[in-house]
Parts: sequence; C-alpha cells; structure tokens
Amino acid sequence: MNEHAPAPRDAGLSRRGFFKGALGTGALAAITAYEVFAIESDPANPVTFPAPSSPLSGPSSQLSSADGQVDVLERMRVELLRALAKPAADRRWVMVIDLRKCVGCHACTIACVAENKLPPGVVYRPVIEEEFGTYPNVGRRFLPRPCMQCDNPPCVPVCPVTATYKNEEGVVVVDYDQCIGCRACLTACPYGARTSDFGLTYGEGLPVAAGQIAGAELTGQYEKVENYEYGTPRRREKGKSPIGNARKCHFCLHRIKVGELPACVTSCIGRATLFGDANDPTSLVAELIARPNVSRLKEELGTQPRVYYLS
Amino acid sequence: MITIKRTLYVLAAVALVLGVYGFWSRLALGERDVNYGSYVNWGLWVAMYLFFAGLSSRTFMLATLDYVFDVPLFRGTGRYALWATIVTLPAALALIGLDLGHMERIWKVYLQPNFSSLLAQLVWSYSMFFLIAIVSLVLAIRGQRRWLKPVMAVGLVLAIFVSGAVGALFGVNPGRVAFQNAMLPAQFPVLNLASGVALLLVIVAFFGIVPERERHGRLLRVLGLALAVLLFAKSYFLWVDYSQVLYSRVPDAVAVVEIVLLGRYAWAFWILQIGLGILVPVAIVLWPGTRRLPVAMGVAGVLVLVGLAVGKTAIIFPALAIPELEGLAEAFTGPHLDFDYTPSLMEWSVTIGVVGLSTLAYLVGTDRVPFLKNTPEVAS
Repeated sequence: MNEHAPAPRDAGLSRRGFFKGALGTGALAAITAYEVFAIESDPANPVTFPAPSSPLSGPSSQLSSADGQVDVLERMRVELLRALAKPAADRRWVMVIDLRKCVGCHACTIACVAENKLPPGVVYRPVIEEEFGTYPNVGRRFLPRPCMQCDNPPCVPVCPVTATYKNEEGVVVVDYDQCIGCRACLTACPYGARTSDFGLTYGEGLPVAAGQIAGAELTGQYEKVENYEYGTPRRREKGKSPIGNARKCHFCLHRIKVGELPACVTSCIGRATLFGDANDPTSLVAELIARPNVSRLKEELGTQPRVYYLS
Repeated sequence: MITIKRTLYVLAAVALVLGVYGFWSRLALGERDVNYGSYVNWGLWVAMYLFFAGLSSRTFMLATLDYVFDVPLFRGTGRYALWATIVTLPAALALIGLDLGHMERIWKVYLQPNFSSLLAQLVWSYSMFFLIAIVSLVLAIRGQRRWLKPVMAVGLVLAIFVSGAVGALFGVNPGRVAFQNAMLPAQFPVLNLASGVALLLVIVAFFGIVPERERHGRLLRVLGLALAVLLFAKSYFLWVDYSQVLYSRVPDAVAVVEIVLLGRYAWAFWILQIGLGILVPVAIVLWPGTRRLPVAMGVAGVLVLVGLAVGKTAIIFPALAIPELEGLAEAFTGPHLDFDYTPSLMEWSVTIGVVGLSTLAYLVGTDRVPFLKNTPEVAS
C-alpha cells in the first residue's frame, strides 16, 4: 500500500480544534488538581472518584461538525453506540493500530494504568520500541501491544477452572473470583499479554508527607480507589482479587458498556489506535482491516488476533 | 549407618528451620518477595514440584517390583519406596500450592474443573494417585496382598500417565518455542525413573533396609547399573534436544539452548547437571573401587537427585527467559517484569524448608512407624 495514502476522510484534526481541546484540557486538569488537593487537605473527607456514568449517556449518536471535519474519535463513538444497540453476540470488537501514526508517547500505556488502577508490575498495553537500520539510515518504530483478544486463544483452554474465557462479544476476559493464580495462561500466551498481580503498590516505602506533597497516605488512598474492570467495583486489598490473579487488557469493557471508547483509544494523541465493531461494514475499523497493508502479530500460530496493525 | 541417619536428621532439622522465614513470608505477605513474575512466571517452586512429583510416581513404580511383581531382589524394599511416595507427593503439592496466587481456591479444580486443561487433568490424576498410594500403604501395613496387587497395578498405570502428562504440560504451549517438544512427555517418565532409582539407592545404601549382606550388595549393584543406564538415556535426551535445536537454527529456540549451555545457567548445567549429576555418579556406580562401598553408592544417588532437580530448572527457566516479542523486556519495566530469573531468598527458604520437612517425615517414619521400623526379616 502507498505509505502516503490519505488518512480516512474524517480523520483530520484542525489546528483550531486542537488548541481548543488543549486549552479545555488544561483548564479541566487545573480545576481537577485543585479539587483533589483541596479534598486531600481535609483528612476527614477521603478522596472519592465518580462511578462510571449511566449506560449510553453523553453526546448524541449523530455525527456533527461545524467545519465539516469529524474527529475519528467522534466517528468511532457514534459507531460504538450503534453497535451497542445490537445484540452482544452480533458485535465483533476489533482494534486497529496504525503504526505509521504511533509516535511512541506511551499515553495509551499510562491511560490504561490510570483507568484500570494497575499496580507496579502489571501492564496491559506496553509500547514496544525498536530501532532499526544502520547510520545514517536509521529509524525507530513503536508497537503498542494490548491483548490480541484472539479468536482462537491459547490462554483459554489451559485454565484449570475456566476462569478465563471469551465472552459473547469475543473479548477474552478473566473472572477474578474464579482464577486460582496458577499462571498457566501467562505461559500459554504467545504475546506475553498477561501479567500477574503480586500485590505491590506504588506508595510503598514513600515517606509520610503533609499538605500537598504526594506522600504515602495520598498515594495510598489513590491506590485503594475502586476500579471498574468488567463493570464491577473492586478495591485491591490484601489477599483479595485481583491480587494473586492473572490480569490482562479487556478492551475496557466497562467503558464500552457505557458507550465510551477504550482508554487507550481516547488518549492516543496521534489517533493511531482505533476501535469498533468489525461486523458493521460501514465502521471505520471494518474499512481499515480490509486494506492490504494490514497485518496481525504471529499470524502463523493460528490464534486469529482481533488486533490489527496498519503499516 | 546410624551416623549417616543422625547427620540426615540434623540436616533436615536445619533445613526446616531455614524454611521458617520462607513459609512465614509466603503465608503472611503473599507472593511479594518472590522473584518469579509475569514473564518468567514459573520459577523454582514449579521446578521442584516437577522433581518431587516425578520422585513420588517413580518410587511408587519401584514399590510395585516388590508388591506387584514379587521380584525377589527387591523383597522388603516396597514399604520404603511406598513411604517415599507418601512423603514426596505432599512436598510436590505443597510447593505447587504455595506457587498459586489463590491457593485457598484449589477446591475449584475439583468442583469446577475444566478438563480440557492439562493442569486440571494433572490435579485430578495426582489426587487419585495419592489416594491409591495411601490405600496401598494401608493394605501393605495390614498385609492384605490380595487387594494390594490390583490397587498398585492401577497406581502403576496412573504413575506412568502423570509422569508423561507433566511433560505435556510444557509441550503444549504454543507461546514458548523451546517447550514445543513432543519428546518431553516421553522423556519425563524416564528421567523420573532415574530419580526414583537414585532415591531407592540412597535408602538402600544409607538405611540398611536389606539385612542380608549378599542381597544388599547385589541390590546396590543392580540399582547402580540401572542408574547408569538411565543416566545414559538422559544424556541422549539432552543431546537430542539441544542438537536438534542448534541444527534447526530457529532463533528463539537456539537462544534458549545458548542460555543453558553458555549463558547465565551454564554453571548449573555443566557443573551440577552434567558433572556432579551424571559423570561423577556414573563413575562411582561403575568403578569397581567404589561400587562396592554402600556410602559411595548412596552419595552417587544423592548427586543424581541433585542433577535431576537442576535438570527440571533447566527445562523451565531458560525457556521463559526469551521474550515472546522482541523489545518486550524494555517496553514497560517494573517489579516481576523481568526475563532474568534467579530465585529469591524467600523462594530458596521455602524450597529448603519443604525438602527438610519431607526428609524429616521420611526419617521419623522409618524410625517410629512399626511397619517401617522392622524389616521383614527382623519382624519374622
């Protein structure tokens, strides 16, 4: 395929839109930071985070744009809402990662860590960096690696208690309360896409600090906040799941359920990570995976990944 | 012999004391202090589980020589071999249990099993095997040979199956090219038999369980010869495994073999597995000057056991030390995200403690349980 082929028709991001977004985000971040620290300065008022919004709330499911250009995020969100209107078994979630657009900023990795409250040593979406060529003809490329959500997943049949399985939407999930922590699925995954939660926290060993310095108590509070993986509020507490479990990317099913795109998709500054229902022939991802420059990792194993790479 | 036994008592007690820290850490703090992780996700405990599980199935096999096949040379050894089965299998299960992130949920494998999983098959098979071993021991204690034979015959078939299935547990992993070796299920029963023979050699040599001098000497020679043959078989397997990989030049598989032969685990391979685990014991059991010395034969058995235990680690650690995707090791760093694995102090502590506990259980059994305390000849 031509390396310089135009991006999908609605993939552009105008300069004005960019600055508007940046200013808005900055203001929001400032307000949020103020509020968090304001709350934190009052020990009697522990930090709380809002629960996910009600299903399918938010913007309209119609595409609209003043200047005629629609951000792919908007398009994907509308397509997501359309897909959610179908029976679950009729959806086929796929992720497309455009390697030509990935700049290796690791925003997706961090967004994933923040979204799922991942502890040290647990990662769902690392970005693999590679340098290639010989000076002066050298280059770098980046390969984000979420769970491949294989249609023929080697990690599923090895589980001795059926704690991991493909749900009706085809996403490979882990039932935290069923998992015995044998790590057989970690060995079986050809992509190294599963990690085990060994019960560590980022706040360990930090000094206790007063005021607005992020000391052990502040960090500790953040790490005890519930996450909403698989749609269930869950705190990490000693001896309880997900500590001791295998953990993995689940395409942010809890976000999808309420009409939000996965965190790695919305945080991608280059719009390199795209998501949608491949069973919808008009969806962006359905268009993209039909292109000749699409490939999947280790296809020779027959795992049938649902993550596609454009190169 | 009494001196050797006393020494073993002291060593086992010291090992148990050394294990206290590890047991406390594992049970009180969880898996925080282990060095295995998400990339090298099976470590020392899984390797030692393989070793002890193999030992239990093969000592059971050797017990059948006395109780099922009535081989005169092995008369009276069955009870000691069976007792070894009884104390080594819990050691294996303890190690694999401590390796689980949620060991309190092990009941789920029994009540909610997924039988397409080799792991579930193994848990069930080993449980049945353990049950059969206990029933066999009870029948042997009661002298009910009529029932003992069929029960142990079933156990023998199961012992062969579980040994091969453990090999298959690794062989079926598509993600690890070094494990994809159809030979593993065939090799494990042979290698495990070597460990069983080595343990029986140690027991016969050190504990004087065969009072007749002539039969004792003959049994030592036969066990020594069997051990030599099995070690030759092991050497052949190693050659087949590694030479095929090196000739095939599949990069990831070659990298694994290079780690074993030349890399971070090379010292363990050459010194412990080949030198002390094969060459020295083969020399001891074949050289006329040493093969008549029970103590030397016992030492040969111990060395073979060490070599075979190290062999289990050589199957697991290097194969998991190769990233599934190039660059994965550096993509995201953190605790337990490492492809270079060395067992932590806590892992060693637990392993040493379990070895001490099972050794102590064996010794106490032979000294306190009347069935084991009295050899048939003494009893009669």
